[in-house]
Amino acid sequence: MRVATDIGGTFTDLVCLEFDKKSGNSLGVKVVKSDTTPSNFEQGILNTIAKGNINLKEIDFFAHGTTVVINALTERKGAKTALITTKGFRDVLEIARCNRPDLFNFNFIKQPPFVPRHLRFEVEERINYKGEINKELNTSTLKSILKTCKEENVESIAICLLHAYKNPKHEIQLLKEIFHLNSDIEIIASHQITREWREYERTSSTVLSGYVLPIAKKYLNNLEERLREKELRNAPFIMQSNGGITSINDVKSNPITMVESGPASGVFGAIALGKVIDKKDLIVLDIGGTTAKCALVENGQVKITTNYKIDHSRTKAGYPIQTPVIDIVEIGNGGGSIAWIDQGGKMHVGPKSAGASPGPAAYGRGGKNLTTTDANIITGRIHPDYFIGGEIQPDYSSIEEASRVLCEKLNASKEDVAKGILRIANANMVNALKLISVNKGHDPRDFSMIVIGGGGAMHGADLARELQVSELIIPPHAGVFSAFGMLMSDVRRDYIRTNVLTLSEKQKETILSIFSEIKDEAVLNFKADNYQQNEMKFTYYADLRYVGQEHYVKVMLTNFSKNTPLKTIIANFHSEHKKQYSFELDAPVELVNFHLVAEVEVEKPDFPKLRVTDRKVEDAIFDTKEVDFDDLGKHDTSFYRRELLEPNMMLKGPAVIAENATTTVVTPLHEVLVDEYGNLIITPQRTA
Amino acid sequence: MEKFTLEIIQDTLVAAGDEMFQTLQRTSMSPIIYESLDYAVGITDVKGELLAQGNGVTAFLAALDSVVRATLEKFNGESVLEEGDVIIANTPYAGGGTHLSDVSVIYPVFYHKELVAFTVNKAHWTELGGTFPGSVSTVATEIYQEGLQFPFIKVKSKGKLNDALVDLIKANVRLPDSTLGDLFAGIAAAEVGAKRVISIIEKYGLKTFIKAKDDFLDYGERMCIEALKTIPNGDYEGVSEIEDNGFGEGPFPIKAKITVSDTEFIVDFNGSHPQVKGATNLSYSGLVTGCRSLFKAITTPSMNANGGAFRPMKVLCEPGTIVSAVTPSAVSVYYEVMVTTIDLIWKILAPLIPDKLPAGHMRSVCATFISGMHPDTNQFYIQAEPLAGGWGASATHDGNRGQLSCGSGESYNIPIEIREMRYGIEVEQYAFHNEGGGYGEFQGGNGQYVDYKIISDGAHVTGAFLGEKTKTWGMNGGHDGSYNYFMIIRKDGTKERHSLGTNIFLEKGDIVRCATATGGGYGDPKNRPKEQVLLDIKNGYITKKEAQEFYQI
Repeated sequence: MRVATDIGGTFTDLVCLEFDKKSGNSLGVKVVKSDTTPSNFEQGILNTIAKGNINLKEIDFFAHGTTVVINALTERKGAKTALITTKGFRDVLEIARCNRPDLFNFNFIKQPPFVPRHLRFEVEERINYKGEINKELNTSTLKSILKTCKEENVESIAICLLHAYKNPKHEIQLLKEIFHLNSDIEIIASHQITREWREYERTSSTVLSGYVLPIAKKYLNNLEERLREKELRNAPFIMQSNGGITSINDVKSNPITMVESGPASGVFGAIALGKVIDKKDLIVLDIGGTTAKCALVENGQVKITTNYKIDHSRTKAGYPIQTPVIDIVEIGNGGGSIAWIDQGGKMHVGPKSAGASPGPAAYGRGGKNLTTTDANIITGRIHPDYFIGGEIQPDYSSIEEASRVLCEKLNASKEDVAKGILRIANANMVNALKLISVNKGHDPRDFSMIVIGGGGAMHGADLARELQVSELIIPPHAGVFSAFGMLMSDVRRDYIRTNVLTLSEKQKETILSIFSEIKDEAVLNFKADNYQQNEMKFTYYADLRYVGQEHYVKVMLTNFSKNTPLKTIIANFHSEHKKQYSFELDAPVELVNFHLVAEVEVEKPDFPKLRVTDRKVEDAIFDTKEVDFDDLGKHDTSFYRRELLEPNMMLKGPAVIAENATTTVVTPLHEVLVDEYGNLIITPQRTA
Repeated sequence: MEKFTLEIIQDTLVAAGDEMFQTLQRTSMSPIIYESLDYAVGITDVKGELLAQGNGVTAFLAALDSVVRATLEKFNGESVLEEGDVIIANTPYAGGGTHLSDVSVIYPVFYHKELVAFTVNKAHWTELGGTFPGSVSTVATEIYQEGLQFPFIKVKSKGKLNDALVDLIKANVRLPDSTLGDLFAGIAAAEVGAKRVISIIEKYGLKTFIKAKDDFLDYGERMCIEALKTIPNGDYEGVSEIEDNGFGEGPFPIKAKITVSDTEFIVDFNGSHPQVKGATNLSYSGLVTGCRSLFKAITTPSMNANGGAFRPMKVLCEPGTIVSAVTPSAVSVYYEVMVTTIDLIWKILAPLIPDKLPAGHMRSVCATFISGMHPDTNQFYIQAEPLAGGWGASATHDGNRGQLSCGSGESYNIPIEIREMRYGIEVEQYAFHNEGGGYGEFQGGNGQYVDYKIISDGAHVTGAFLGEKTKTWGMNGGHDGSYNYFMIIRKDGTKERHSLGTNIFLEKGDIVRCATATGGGYGDPKNRPKEQVLLDIKNGYITKKEAQEFYQI
């Protein structure tokens, strides 16, 4: 049996794939949901295990994703952290990038640094941009620094020296000496987290890593302990932000890699599903309660970026973390997003969300604001018996109450307001989807769109129509797809290193030797987890740009070896640049970052197939009601139970397919085919 | 339901603005564009009314719509705009002009052969020729010394690149690859925006598009008028000054009279000093852009830029003053004058609306241009950048530290690790200083030092740091802050302090120290809680001596 658990903001999900021991055939998927337990996250996992009646002794593979890191950061619940840096530069962390993103606001308040100035210490040393030592490290002040740290109850020390991405010698020396002087305080240095340049981003990454280090270690130790008590045989795997899993020991030494693990695993689940059904170009959309996230997958690959920030918005600079995170665009539009009207009389939806409590007006828990979910109810798209898993009926009087203000201000009917909310919410999501597709030079017609999360299937058909994607796919268990994705992930680590050089045959030796150095480091790391080099798979990327540019384009170096002609790589860059930015230049090309992906494939289960009985599609209909499809009109619409749909069944819109965790809306322009795995494949009606 | 469609079109226009913004940033060749984000992109209607703008800096708020209007004026007779044309312009005195380094790319958008909109961008190109590297000089006396002028020229005609113009540019600038790279980045960004505008029209129809943009402009005006009602009506006035023109002459007064009513906001600069010898002059177009940024800060700061939101504002000034300079006046340091005008209106209005405006900030862009030959590559380099400093405290919080001036916005500093590779300099320190000032119930943000050590064999520095003799202003009992200046620390230890300086020779090993001011304080220092003062001492934001003297602790 294989189990994955995913701790989210509201719920902790568990997905269990069961097999027949003798035949190895799949027995199906078990899904368990339980409340997240913020004071003690591992308890939530134990609760799902108990609720699902799962015997850990029988589990061969246990993967886990957690919000413990992102929570500690956004709620400022991490450890008291100090910083040691190069003399003259302790204020880099506070000066940050000097920007004022809320640029028309002269009364702007800058976000404070995670380490106060009196805990930012300096040591004498200097390395230049070539990695040469200008000034030797002087550690004579370390004792007094550590004494102050002790007095101030510092729990964690972050070390970040100038140009350490190029030469970490002094950082390594500091790590050793501090450990020697005081082993109580956690220490972490920038080169352990990132080997890319930009001192503020590196310092911020290191400080935030230090900030979460004690809490994450404690959590992981507890989790390991509790699972061992329950006799789990193999150590659990931990989900990272790059879409791969890794050993629990590895993540303990660099826990910041877990920061965006939830969204990453959803996307990787979609990629794994895509492989099975032979779809390699995907747009993945995950709509939750507060936000919608989307990512683009090209030829089975999703881009990895290190331009990640927390607490970042249009008006806030945020805090950068240079760790490999899959390239996701997130916007403040989800099921709970609130509709509101500004002073000029314009309606907006989000980014404020009613959250889980009080939740949308329809929850009847005191929510006074109309949300996207309420709009879906008003238009008849959610069946009252399938509202939040069928646990309660929508509170129609509360919806009525919440819509009154909007109706008055807009001088419109409740129905029109609801349709307006859905149009605006959909337009916001379309803009985000265009950001990752059209704006990057991709034609959505070449892509399939996979929608997951509780709200994805409600809006998918409208968005697919607007974007003109070739088809829309709603997988089974779309509501817990993040956990599902972990069962489909491989062990993966990303190694990114800045080393700027001009791409020319002359430099080929250097390029090969840097890649081989990085590869050796990867092999060594994987060995620590008992993986052999022959199990490992390597993929090479380079971040390239025209000389003089600052930003780069990531280019995959297919089948990279010493025989790969550099001119092929350069040609690929030219065409990629043209695709993204509509022009290419007759200028020399520069390599900025070396990027190596090392992976070990994990044995994965087959996607379970659905059984076929002689049931007819009509047997799945449980109700017929009027649904408002906005510009496509109001229609008497059949409501189907998803659990009764079987492979090869076909149905035409207008239709609504209900299940516990989500609802799929099929417009009058679309039709649905159920494939052998139970995926709903939605396409435009051929005869429409 | 049409109402919602109009709103969606409006949001899509804003999204198109964002996309153009990113394209320019990601493809540009000038650090001042891709790091400082000293540029703006926008979409206007056929008359040049601003529909959407993506900004890096606040300073270009009047630049885009005005430059389109000036384009329409020029191509209104024998020469007309045709599909596939792209126009470039940088004339300071005409619509949208600031200084020559800021070049506009104007792209008329056609749909079925009909002109339907413009996409436009304006960006600071690092090099445009002229007497000194970086095309900025504090000792220029005529615009001819400041670089190439593009008086609304078609760089593309019916889709065909004007090769003669490209060759001319190539031959007249110091970093031709970078300059032409910026040109193509500007055209690419405008093309992207044009595609989006056309796709909107294709989807919703031209009629609905026009309705949406008219509705959007009216919406901007409504939002602005609502906000204007919260500013007390009345006539207010004040005086500021430009301390120096680069020739040791000055100060030169700038006068402003402001009239606020519920529907109008009029700023009258008549009575300001005539335009001066030197480059510390601002064109009328630059003046309007400065006034708009302050006006936006006090009316609709959280709304996207929209031409309707500026309808209630008027700027009056006779031609030929230091804030309405005419040809052939030099203007390359216009930004210092512009920031001074913003600061003047700010200082006049702040006591009336302390929830929108804090005490005085560094009040200078503190831009430096250091040029020389890179010691490793032997290539010519120009490091051009604005610097961060202290901002004023407000009625609710201490002033920010490490923030670029009000003329910037979503602009970034250049990382030390990147600049040390690119340029022949090494940074010795990057730190807050203790030059004093800014005491108050809320403390002004500390200014900072950046020390650049020259490691190439010789280099030159040009800088303009106004506020070398005038401190940033405190408010409501808060103390004034400190000064901006740059100082050359020679290898032998001699020090030279400057406000304005052009092409000063530096030897290998000399240090350029840039000092930016501490912001003004807010409220009586006596009201600052003791524990806060103690914490400031512990953090080194103030010294013990200052605490004793100004906080009695």
